Parts: sequence; structure tokens; C-alpha cells
Amino acid sequence: MEEIVLDIENLEKIYPGGVHAVRGISFNVKKGESVAIIGSSGSGKSTVLRCINRLIEPTKGTIKLNNQIINNPMADVNDIRSKIGMVFQSFELFSHLTVLDNITLGLRHVRGMKKEEAEKSALKVLERVDMLDRTKAFPGNLSGGQKQRVAIARALAMHPDVILFDEPTSALDPELIGSVLQTIRSLADEGMTMVIVTHEINFARDVADRIIYMDKGVIAEQGPSEIIESPKSERLKQFLSSMNEEK
Amino acid sequence: MNHENRIFSWKGIPRSSRIIIITTMIIVVLITPNLAEGYYESSWEQVEKRSENNYNSAIIDENGDAWVFGDNGEIIFGDKIEQWMNFESPTNENLVTAYANNERIVAAGNNGVVIYKEYNSEEWVEIKMETQIDINSISMNSNDEIFVVSDNGAIWCFKQDNWIEIESLVSEKLNDIVFEGERGLISGSSGLILGSENNGENWEIRDTPNEVASSDIISIDFYGINRGYAITSSGEILKSTQEELTTTVGYNWYLKEIESENQSTSLDINLTSLEVLSTTKILLSGDNGYIALSKDGGNIVTPQLLSIEGDFSINDIAMKNAFVGIIVGDNGTILYTENGGEDSAVGFEIIDLSDFSEFVDFTKDNLLEGLKATVKIVIFGILLGFFIGIALAMCKTAPTTLKQMIEGDLERTLTLFWIIIPSTLFCTRIYGSGLGILSLSGLIILFSLLNYYINKNKIEKEGFLGISIPNRHRNNLIRILGLTLLIGMPLIGKWEIKGGIELIYTAISEFYNFHLGSNTFKLSAQIAYIFAPIGNPSEFMRLILGVGLTYLGLLFLTTNGTFSKKKIPYGKLVLISILWVIILTEIFVDSDSSGDKITSWFDLGWRLFLVLIGLLVTKRILPKEIKSVLKNSNDYTLTIEPWKIRPLQTIATLYTDFFRNTPLLVQFMFIHFGLQLGKHIQNIGLDLTSDLIAISSLLGPLDSLLHPIIDYISGSLFGPGKRSYLSAIFALGLNSAAYQCETIRGAIAAIPSGQMEAGRSIGLTYMGTMRLIILPQAIRICIPPLGNEMVNLVLNSSLASVIAYTELTRQGKLVVAITFQIFWTWGMVMIAYFVVTWSLALLLRRLEEKTRIPGLGISGGN
Repeated sequence: MEEIVLDIENLEKIYPGGVHAVRGISFNVKKGESVAIIGSSGSGKSTVLRCINRLIEPTKGTIKLNNQIINNPMADVNDIRSKIGMVFQSFELFSHLTVLDNITLGLRHVRGMKKEEAEKSALKVLERVDMLDRTKAFPGNLSGGQKQRVAIARALAMHPDVILFDEPTSALDPELIGSVLQTIRSLADEGMTMVIVTHEINFARDVADRIIYMDKGVIAEQGPSEIIESPKSERLKQFLSSMNEEK
Repeated sequence: MNHENRIFSWKGIPRSSRIIIITTMIIVVLITPNLAEGYYESSWEQVEKRSENNYNSAIIDENGDAWVFGDNGEIIFGDKIEQWMNFESPTNENLVTAYANNERIVAAGNNGVVIYKEYNSEEWVEIKMETQIDINSISMNSNDEIFVVSDNGAIWCFKQDNWIEIESLVSEKLNDIVFEGERGLISGSSGLILGSENNGENWEIRDTPNEVASSDIISIDFYGINRGYAITSSGEILKSTQEELTTTVGYNWYLKEIESENQSTSLDINLTSLEVLSTTKILLSGDNGYIALSKDGGNIVTPQLLSIEGDFSINDIAMKNAFVGIIVGDNGTILYTENGGEDSAVGFEIIDLSDFSEFVDFTKDNLLEGLKATVKIVIFGILLGFFIGIALAMCKTAPTTLKQMIEGDLERTLTLFWIIIPSTLFCTRIYGSGLGILSLSGLIILFSLLNYYINKNKIEKEGFLGISIPNRHRNNLIRILGLTLLIGMPLIGKWEIKGGIELIYTAISEFYNFHLGSNTFKLSAQIAYIFAPIGNPSEFMRLILGVGLTYLGLLFLTTNGTFSKKKIPYGKLVLISILWVIILTEIFVDSDSSGDKITSWFDLGWRLFLVLIGLLVTKRILPKEIKSVLKNSNDYTLTIEPWKIRPLQTIATLYTDFFRNTPLLVQFMFIHFGLQLGKHIQNIGLDLTSDLIAISSLLGPLDSLLHPIIDYISGSLFGPGKRSYLSAIFALGLNSAAYQCETIRGAIAAIPSGQMEAGRSIGLTYMGTMRLIILPQAIRICIPPLGNEMVNLVLNSSLASVIAYTELTRQGKLVVAITFQIFWTWGMVMIAYFVVTWSLALLLRRLEEKTRIPGLGISGGN
């Protein structure tokens, strides 16, 4: 049996205002698998992602990383997060640091590496995302696609067990999306475990081993990437057709 | 940018060296002395030597002429203290003491020789005593009777041309005798002081402090009817004042703690003579050419410069008035002053103050001193303000709520309340506050380190310190914690810790005892109670603590384990009832007991206004449909979210609110004169210095190197006259901290929330993200407003002049007082301020450019 990296059971989240964002969902992610979560805005997919690395505390349910429950109040949240990479929609690069320093920050201050060691390690991941030529640049001087690739490198540098992508391309211009998608696709090919929240249906179909369609806080349909070609549920059909209309 | 190609690259210097350089620069600024000694010169001028005899005594008579008496009967006359000549002497015994009143001058010496001269006579007459005792001191009472004192407790009086011995009851050596009207004082060895209230007919022993029981009280002197001073040969100063209205001066003697000697009671100088110039101004002389002046009754004793070198002893001081006088010493030394013996500042005469260049020449040193003093308090004010400001801003933005403290970190919270705080309190009670604070920080560091190592590299934290409280016990433990906060730890004696309820109760009853309110229930009559905190500050602090503890205690005690909102049935109704009770009392209860008459339109208006406010608040609190309220009692329920309180934020808010809502000028005066913060810090600093010196003395050869450094740093920080310096730094710093806190907080709030998420998502702790990601960006944002605040601080520093800190503005005032050139002086002061502030602003502009993040900010051409 394949090793399960991430196991989510009966996850529920009610925000303080009373919004019931996630209504009990369960799924797991196996090692080397990439899972795409799609769904319309407000379907709770970002909430699920943020619950996984505890940027949001779930109301109910358990989340296991490598068979250890991580959402109990006593778990060391910093250590857990360092094992789960996260890539944000709006990049969230540290604008006062150079590209290289953005990546070595975590290595030096969380992993406790020496500066030279961290830089060596950082250059390796920068090579993987094809950003070696801009190591001394500041994020403010990079294009959106470059920024997102640096953000991916930052997550990769920590050698996480799983990387979470929170709509990695929705803040990008269409012509910049390509390079980012290419980077994510090559990560998938290298066997990185990934959970991707995305609006890019085609990308989800290309990259993901499995697709989860969320609607109104529950999993409406899930299965291999082929479900996009032949959706079973009415809701997914509607969602897909509305996405196509937009294009 | 390529740093290697530059001649000097700041970044090229290793980080540790940079820190050392900056620290050194700060210390250098910190300890630069305010006034160089070269600015002063001695006011004592030597009178041409007439012999090599030792001069033992000097006196200035009613005509303003000086008389000096020395060995071998030498008498020197100083006509108006200008023309000096030898005077024919009837004796060749050593003359050691002299006295003058408005009839005659008397002198006395060894082998019972006593001589006198009437003012209208040109000759000295000898009235030798039959018993050949060595006379130590001579004086005359209000009946012109001559008194002499000698060894073995002998007191002799010359009355009606006869020498009569007066019973003294003592056998100690008597050193000095002095009369002020009918009241006489004699000082002697073994700490002896005798007093007489009847022109010297009877003498009685006066109480002196035990510390001087083995000292030789060498000289004693009155000033008028309300002050007496005495000195011992071992350097102590005794002081006597009129106590209340019944006891006259000369009865109560106490040992002066000399501030300028680190509160020591001795100057460590072999003192020889004392001259009291005014109630608080005294001149002291001693061996090895020591002459010192104190202008505040012996608090600060400042040695004065002498214009001659040498190891001679100064034997006597004689002053014509508070300014003109002489001192005499061994080997024929006579020195003359016109400046009360005080060192005079150089270059204070013969300048034409209407000539601008000479005026500038004259004042520039003063203004530069002032500027230096200003810069010093400004630098430390800014640094203090910045660090406290950052700490406050972090407290204000800290997300730690009560819920997190209790739910997520119960183990840590329990350790804090049940181990760390009690241990600290016990340490404080047993060993004093210094060790108490030390043990608090020590324990916190110890526990944090232990916790860090126990939980290192564990995915699942095992609670705090490896102890994890099982879920089923958590709620009960929280309730017990609540109970301890409410009732304290009622152990016995000094092991007792008071709870919130007791603290509130004692504080309230303490305040009630002030009886500040009139005898009425009217709230407006209780207005004087707003001053109650000043009546008993420590009780007020306990009240605040008590309120906090009671709040937490009640909350913890009533927990049901959910940490959510709390519903108080009928809460709104209670609130509104209280409001209306207050309003109605205010309207209908009259403090004049003249009934509830409305006496003026203002009165009527005030009452109507209160009712209006009451109605508005009622409408705001109660649900809209008044009918449904009557049916449904749920609408009265008050919902509060007590667990959402952020303790750190609350504390920081109290601080900033206080400092931002009181005038800086008042803060200056309260901190310096009221709290005497400068004095307390000075005392702490001096304690620390003596500890350091004790440590350094254990280091053997290193001591000779360290000791002067410690002395110098301590002297320049905590030395005499540094109180207002310390107070000024703290007043400026604490005030500025409140404003800088708000600025920094605003900048932190301007950083996108995603940055914190991103930092946390790579595994950094909250503080780590703050330090590495949020603050570096926030500080860059707030450089312009912080610069504004720093410029403000420079300008505000002029208020330090009210606490007698001689910075630029005060120097300006002094210059105006001397020169009366108002336009020039204040103009120059203004320019000096402008130069400082403007260069600071330029520096900040440069800093802003240097720290600008590439690719951020507004751009887009012209």
C-alpha cells in the first residue's frame, strides 16, 4: 500500500462570524501524489488548505501528517509548518530581502543552517525553478511569474513533505502563467507531493493525479483527472461549463 | 553595489565589530563630561609672604581689617585686607586662636598667653593667665567677657579683670568655643559638644551621633539663630538645626551624609577649620592645601582650586562677608579671595557686550555646552524611546488572547502564576527588590530554555517542560487557578500572597479613608476622588492589580471549557438600571440639602442633558422593539467576549494613554521633583558601582586598570549633579516611547497580513517573523514619521530646563541673565537648535533613501 502523507478526516470550519465554510470533508494525499482542489469562490477550498498548515484552526476533525495528528493545541505548530510548504496567491515574498535571502531565511532561522550552507542549498532550488540569474534582485523588481517561481523555490528549499499551492496563478497575467505552470508540472513529474487549489481547469487536469471538486463546503465529486472530461455530478458539470464560458 | 571597491565600506566591517564601534560611540557620548575643569580658575590669590612662620589663626574685625596670628607671637595686619604689614607683638609665644567683636580683638596661644586690642588703641595688651595652659580657642560672649578653652576640659573666663575657671564636668580636650549672643557652644575630642544658654556660666553636654564618639570635633560655628555646623578632624560634618519651634539650635546634632562622597559621612580629609557663610554655605579647610565649598549645607562639597602648590596645611579661614576673606596656613601662607572662595569661571569680565563678535566669543562656550547637553539627553531619549516604543508596539499587536494563554498554553500559564510569580515575591521579600527582579528574569529564562531543549525537534509538543495536563483535568485546574487569583495564597506571614478581592477591598477602604467626597451620594460630588491615586500610589497600583486579578479570577472560576462568548442573563437591564440610578441621584439629590430646587438655567440644562444622555444610551443598548423586550427576556441578555482580551495590549494601552494624555512639561516636573526618578536611578547606579568596584578589587592587577574606568563612567553617569540629567533622559524617553509606539504600530499594521502568514508558513515563530520580516519592513515605512518624532524630541528637550538640567535653553536663560542681550541670545539658541534638528532631518532623509526597498514605493516618472 502506498504511504499516506496527508490524511484529513471530517474537517469542519465555522468562522467566528458564523460562516460555515467547510462542512466535514475527508480525503488523503499519498506520497508523490498531486491533488487539485477546484471549486467556485466561497466553496471552502482555500480554508481547507489553510487548515492543513494551521494558518486557520479547524473547528472539528483531525489532520494527520505522516500519521501524526497535527491539529491539537499542543503540537509544535512551527515544526509542522516547516514540513509543509505553502505557495500563496499573492506570492508574499519578503520585499526587503533579495531573492537569495528570501530562500535562505527559513533555512538559516528555522533549520539552523550556516549562511554558506544555506546559500548553496538555495542556489540548487533556484536552479530547479530557473531563477539562477536573478538571485541578487529584490522581489519588487521581478515580474509576477518570476515572483511566484521564487515563492515556489522558497517552499521547496525547506524540503517539505508536501507543498500546498493556494491559487498560484490567479494573480498572474495569462502570458506569465505558463512558466509557473511549467515549474509546478516538473515538480509533479519529480514526484513532489502537492495539494493545489486552482481555477485553471486545464492545468488541474494536466498535473493532478486526482481532482477534488468542492462546493458549499463539501466534496461534491472526486476522482482521477478524467472526471473533468466526464463529470458525473450536475454541480461539477455546471461549474465546468461556467468556467468555459469565461474563457 | 560593490563594497570592495570603496575606500571605506561600512558593510565591509564584520557585524560584531560594527556593534562594538556603535556601542563605543554611544558610551563615549554618554560619559563625555559636561564641563571641562579648564573653565575654572582659583579665586584665591596669594598675599606676599612675610615670614616662614606657621599662621594658626586669622580674624577680620569690625573695620574690615584682617589680623593674622602665627607662631612666635607673629601678628600681621591687613589694612582693609589690602595693605599688609607686621604688627608689633607683646609676646613671642605661639598664637593659635583669635576672636573679634565690636569692642575689641582678642587672641590667645600657648602657655596661657592672651592678648587683646581695643579698636581705639594702637597697641596689643597682654593679660597673661597665671596657670600656663595651652589655649586652644578663644571667644567672647555678649557681655564682652573673654572665654578660653584648653585641654583636659578646662574652661576659663576673664571677667572683672580676673581669670575664673568654669566647671565643665568633662576632662576631654576642648578644641573650639563660639558664642552667638548668650548661646555658646564648645567642641572637643571624643565627639564632645558642650552648650550654654546663659552666656557661658553653665555648660551641659549635648547629644552627638554615636558615629563621632571617637572623633575629634575640631571646629564649631553658628550661623544666626537657626543653623550650627561642626567638623571633625577625620572629615565628618555635623549639622544642627532648629527643630520645630521649641528646641533651639545646638541641641540636636546629626551627621551629614555627604552626597558628593557617595552618601558617605566622611570627606576622608583631615579637616582643620570651618567657616559658615550663610545658612547653607560653608567653607572647609584641611591638610595638604584642601579648601572646599558647600553651597547646600554639606550635601555637595566641592573642593576648590588653589593658586599655589604645596603640602601645607590650611589652619584658619576668616571671612569679612560671604565674598571677601582670607585663609592662612603653614609657612607664612596667606590667601585672599573676593569670590567667597569659589572657583570662578574664566573670562567673565572686561568684555564689551554690545559688540557682537565679543558677545559671541563670550557666550559661544556656554551655548556649545548647552548644545552638548541637549544632544546627550536627545540621543539617549531617542534610543530609550525607540526600544520601549518597539516593545510597546509589539505588545499592542501581539495576538495572544486570554483564550490562547489558557487553552493552548495552560501549562505555561500555571507555571507563571504558581511558580514564577510566588518565587519572585518571596525573593523580593527576603532579599529585596533587586534580587527579586533578578530571580524573575532568571526563572523565566531558565524555564524557557528548559522548555526549548525538552521540546526540540518534536512534532508533537509534550506540553510545557515535558508536562502535559490531561484534558479531563484542565477545566478544574483553570477553576483552581481562578480561585487562587481571587483569594490569593493565604499562607502565613511573609509567605502570604493577597488575592484580587483582598487587594480591591483594602485599596477601596484606604481611599475611602481620605473622605474626599462630600457627604452625599451625588456622583459629581465624588469628583475629588480622581486625585486619590496620588494620595496613595502604591495602593492605587494594588487596586489596578486587584481589578485585573479579580476579572481573571472570576472568568477562570466560571469557565465551562469552551472559551467562547459569555451570556449574562438580564445583564443589559442591570447596566441600564445602574445608569439611571446614577442619573436620577445626580438630578434629585442636592448636596446643599436645600431640596431639589432648580436654581439656574444652567442647572436645568445640565439635568436635561443628563436625561438626554441616559435616553440615548438606553436606546443604544436595548433592542429596538420595546414590546418584544417585555415578552422575551432573552433580549435583556448581555453578551460579552471576555476571552478575547489581549493582556499585553491592555498593559501597553494603559501606558501610551497615560503618556499621551498628559503634558510633557508636567511629566518632566512629576518625574524629576515628584518621583525623584533621577535620584533613585542615581542611587541604584551608585550601589551598582560599589558592587563592581568590589568585584574588580578581587581581580588583582586588573583592578588598577578597571577601577579608574568604573569610577569615571559611574561619575559621569551617576555622579553629583547628574540627577536632572538622568531624569531628563527618562522623561523624554518614556514620553517619546508612547508616541513612537503608535507610529511603529501603524507601520506594522500597514504590512500585508500575508507576510505574517508567509513567515509562519516556513516555520518561523511569531517573534521570529516579527523580527526578521515584519519589523524590518515596518521600520522602513515609519522612518519619516519617526524622524518627525525625533525632531519633536529635540525640540521638546528644551523643557528639561525646568528641572535645572543645563541644556541649550537653560544656558540661553543664563546668558540672558548675565548679558541682558535678549535678541542675540535667543537668536543664537534658535540657530543652534535649527542646526541640530536640521542635520538630524538630513540624516534621516539619507537613511530613508539608503533603506528604501528596490521596486517598492511610488514611481512613474515626472
